[in-house]
Amino acid sequence: MRRDDVRFAAAARDDGLRKISKYTWRAGAAGVVCSALIALAFGHHTAAQASTGGSQRSTSGSSQSTSGGSQSTSGSGGGIVVPAQPPAPAQGGGQVTSGAT
Amino acid sequence: MTTLAAGSDSFCVFGTTATLLVSDPGSLDDARAILDAELSAVDRACSRFRPDSELSALNESGGAVVGVSELFARLLEAALRAARLTDGDVDPTCGQALAEIGYDRDFALLKAAAPRPSLAGRLPRPVPGWRCVHLDSERRLVQLTNGAQLDLGATAKAWAADRCADLIAAKAGSGVLVSIGGDMAVAGQPPADGWRVRVTDDHAAGPEAPGQTVAIRSGGLATSSTTVRAWAVGGRRMHHIVNPATGRPAVSCWRTASVAAGSCLDANTASTAAIIRGEAALPWLQQGGLPARLVRADGTVETAAGWPSDPGPA
Repeated sequence: MRRDDVRFAAAARDDGLRKISKYTWRAGAAGVVCSALIALAFGHHTAAQASTGGSQRSTSGSSQSTSGGSQSTSGSGGGIVVPAQPPAPAQGGGQVTSGAT
Repeated sequence: MTTLAAGSDSFCVFGTTATLLVSDPGSLDDARAILDAELSAVDRACSRFRPDSELSALNESGGAVVGVSELFARLLEAALRAARLTDGDVDPTCGQALAEIGYDRDFALLKAAAPRPSLAGRLPRPVPGWRCVHLDSERRLVQLTNGAQLDLGATAKAWAADRCADLIAAKAGSGVLVSIGGDMAVAGQPPADGWRVRVTDDHAAGPEAPGQTVAIRSGGLATSSTTVRAWAVGGRRMHHIVNPATGRPAVSCWRTASVAAGSCLDANTASTAAIIRGEAALPWLQQGGLPARLVRADGTVETAAGWPSDPGPA
């Protein structure tokens, strides 16, 4: 093989390696970008759900505040809040009526 | 000694009756103004019978993503929370089912209208389910999928009672009881012996109606019943408590369920679920520590979780 041919072959090899390296980096970068986009999308979804749950807990929280120390029936999950004290027996008619509407 | 409410007011709203009791008579006008403003806003947001309500727009959206007000988002959050806490027994996607069984207009108009034809051809089927409601609370966006149609009636009144009671207690500085259609919330300093409530089938019945009188000092008390908001279709009796599993009026061993809880919303959630759960409701309420009074069709009364003993049949 002539010396020129050797140099040409080496240059072609180096050029090919550079191209492979360049495309590999580009593919990797694209993967990182796509992953970030997917993470953002799902992260927002999760945040929205967490927000709903958070508001739900805050609803329970206000109920607890209203009832002056009521407790949830299902711990940290934010269950139906039990009253601070059960209804007490009373005599006579009511000041107001609780019935179906 | 019995301490009566120093001020009271009663008026029609949401096709039912609202009652306002305050311990400070000087706060009654302010309290009423707060109540009127809040209830008006809730009605604009989530009435199923107002074409201009946000709920109507959402039900007509055909599955599109719709922007909603903060108030509507909070009302929907409350409804979805009730569904989650009851494993879907209290489901906000009963709108279409209610319309199919004839409840497609204000109840006063429904009662006055001629009886509907038979429901033949419309087979019972489950409602789409609360998981078809997608709420983005941060961006206040809602999407209904799978043909879901909302009805927030079960929870909106109770949520409004809680909100109004809290606002009145905070702004007017008075002990207050707000009752909307018999579901009530109390806030602030109660009377010395509590707020006396007659628990019965029909909230429009008088204070001496068959039932039981109890006193509450905090939280909420709600009653659900199959006896009052009822109508006939094709000779069959319908009522407004829909079983999400069938899309039809719940068939229950209980005619009336009254529950006390930390809020009116939670009391309403539990009382509605109790009607739908039937016999399973009693151990569920007992286990959850929710004081309750359940009345069977024959008037037999069962109580749970510290509800005071009942002196006699309902």
